[in-house]
Amino acid sequence: MPGEILAQNSSDAPLCQRCGTEAATHNVRSEDVCSNCFSQYVQTKTIKRMETYRIRGSSAKTPRKLLFPLSFGPSSASLLHILDQHLRGQYDRMKRTSYELYVVHINVYVDPVDRKDADEMLEKYKTRYPRHNYAIFNLEEALGLDGIDWKALGLENSDSMAPSAERLQKLLGSMSSATSRSDIVSTLLARLLVDVAKRNSCEGTLFGDSTTRLAEKTLTETAKGRGFSLPWQISDGTSPHGITFYYPLRDILKKEIMSFSTLTSPPLTDLIVQPHPTSQISASSKLTTIDDLMAQYFESVEENFPSIVANVVRTTSKLQSLPNETTEACGLCGLPVAVGTDGIHGWGGDQNSESRPGKDDTYHGILCYGCSRSMNS
Amino acid sequence: MAPALCANCKTSRALIIRPKNHQKLCKECFIAVFEAEIHHTIITTSLFSPGDKIAIGASGGKDSTVLASVLKTLNERHNYGLELVLLSIDEGIKGYRDDSLETVKRNAVQYDMPLKIVGYDELYGWTMDQVVEVIGKKGNCTYCGVFRRQALDRGAKMLGIKHVVTGHNADDVAETILMNLLRGDLPRLARSTSIVTGDATSDVRRSKPLKYAYEKEIVLYAHHKKLDYFTTECLYSPEAFRGSARSLIKNLERVRPSAILDVVRSGEDMAKLVPEEVTGISQCKSQKVSLSSADGEDEGAGGCGSANGRSSGGEMAAMEKKLQQDETASSREIDMSNPIASGQNHDRLIKKTGPIKPVRIESSKKLVGQTLGTCKTCGYMSSQEICKACTLLEGLNKNRPKMEIEIDVEEEESSTLRRRMEGVALAAG
Repeated sequence: MPGEILAQNSSDAPLCQRCGTEAATHNVRSEDVCSNCFSQYVQTKTIKRMETYRIRGSSAKTPRKLLFPLSFGPSSASLLHILDQHLRGQYDRMKRTSYELYVVHINVYVDPVDRKDADEMLEKYKTRYPRHNYAIFNLEEALGLDGIDWKALGLENSDSMAPSAERLQKLLGSMSSATSRSDIVSTLLARLLVDVAKRNSCEGTLFGDSTTRLAEKTLTETAKGRGFSLPWQISDGTSPHGITFYYPLRDILKKEIMSFSTLTSPPLTDLIVQPHPTSQISASSKLTTIDDLMAQYFESVEENFPSIVANVVRTTSKLQSLPNETTEACGLCGLPVAVGTDGIHGWGGDQNSESRPGKDDTYHGILCYGCSRSMNS
Repeated sequence: MAPALCANCKTSRALIIRPKNHQKLCKECFIAVFEAEIHHTIITTSLFSPGDKIAIGASGGKDSTVLASVLKTLNERHNYGLELVLLSIDEGIKGYRDDSLETVKRNAVQYDMPLKIVGYDELYGWTMDQVVEVIGKKGNCTYCGVFRRQALDRGAKMLGIKHVVTGHNADDVAETILMNLLRGDLPRLARSTSIVTGDATSDVRRSKPLKYAYEKEIVLYAHHKKLDYFTTECLYSPEAFRGSARSLIKNLERVRPSAILDVVRSGEDMAKLVPEEVTGISQCKSQKVSLSSADGEDEGAGGCGSANGRSSGGEMAAMEKKLQQDETASSREIDMSNPIASGQNHDRLIKKTGPIKPVRIESSKKLVGQTLGTCKTCGYMSSQEICKACTLLEGLNKNRPKMEIEIDVEEEESSTLRRRMEGVALAAG
């Protein structure tokens, strides 16, 4: 509890507990620290997760290429800033770097105005961090991916003549709820990113998810019926898509990222599209998604119980995928589904097949429970 | 515009929108569908055998009243061949049970079932009111839950009954899953989703036939069947984690009605992913049967009324404090040791805290899983030497809260942590 720590320091203006010289302005878990030490903490924690990519030996090797998805949110902006400095440091010392970033923004909005904004935003990044390669892709490009079972989604060639942006809008418009819509969007986004990474021979992807975001994701996926997929969703390591996923900010809370983004010089404010405040989220709105609810929930838990947030992530990463299980890939999200457990029907909780409402199920291909739920409700 | 017709019979007027899937049904079809779903659960999980004597844990509340009514109906309709008995617990909370026990007594007449009432005072020498006097209003739910759980089993044993059914519904199960995720309790996460706890070796098995039934549908069923039940909330506050998980579940349901069922499904799948050394449950065993949780508080909701999150959060604050201490300890450790390569997870870190927290390393080494034995004090089944109820009683009888349990090396890590945390909560309160 922050208050208790302050009380232990008898002085009125407590000094930073790390350097002991500057005034304490921030709180790192149980310590009051100055802004310098705070930024140092965030950077060290992040770079520590990049241990695999520190420079080893003296011989010059080709830097390894990593995909860097950039959403313009506070987390990915901060991570890019930290890694840019990391790389600059490597270069200054060794005249080479151990990895290079391929920074990619995916347009999830089809509106031309939004897309123009994204272009302008990316230009700012190029100016500030010129060391990296940048690219923009549009979400509808996911509609051309081979790995997705379009037939299972009812999108089989029917409108293949129409522009893909239109087809994407039609697909999302046919979703019956905001949650299903956002679920499909994030799934397509993930599939597109993996495809971009593979096509550009990136050996891994660096996600900007904070501790808080990973905890959110854990409960969001649980609430969407994708509990089975958690071992692949929040741990660092090889994903079922064959690309290594890293979450270098996994030990940093969202509120810490928010603070950090204001402490860089100059601050990252211009580079960040601020997310909507979660206080406006209401469970009775038709537009509210499960993702929104969880973001709101963990923002409040993080406020007073940051270690509980971290513990959710730590606990979840102990879940182990079953080694001897025969699986097949979900036709939409691509995650491994144990044979016979696909779809929302045919398990204990599906009790009344005769009175089942909704679509008649002729061909559905293999969809995991979560994707099947999004497509069917 | 013509009134909407029932989606099932297509003749009567639809009067009910099913909370589970928003299907429009007439009253008769809703009742039939609700019963058919419980029947489906019972049949597909082979819950009962002909000739079984079953005790229904009856609180007089909606869940257990609906359970008793549905089981009576199904037993007659499908010739289950079950002998059904109502079993009630009197926690000794003034003003809370008086009316609900009257309800259960009427139910016994209405359903023509024998009724057995067991009091905490006769089982433990303490009523809940007396416990609260000692413990305070915070943290007493643990006592109530542990005592009730055993009370049901002990009552059943007295009656020579080997199977107790409880009214836990899908909302309760979903809530328990989220709660165990929030407090990082994998062993309980693994256990709480099974429809049956306890196996052939245990004296008393417990099951929850309403596991997939939505609370809202249970209320609707009770209403349309005009069942006689008692509405009340437990006077004492719920645990923070459960209250927190409960309001989350309610919000999720509003955003996507299937979410409750989806959480239950996730929980069932995740139970299989919990490493064996944590649960003691072999993966080759069916997930439907798990280790008895005789001394657990796996689903404290039964009988705790609707704990709707009006708690102070003391339990969460205590856990937060404990976790922060661990964090500080492990960060000190990291500073002294080799850098941790990325990709390794935190298990390693926890083990390395050994020199600072000797108790912890003991407990994680002995993480051999729980085996079912009997309590040395009361002879009741337990996974520990002394069952949880007896441990709590010992504390009560010494007129102070439970303590010292953390030295118990048999204990699995997270529950040790939780107990310490409870200890902190009690000390603070």
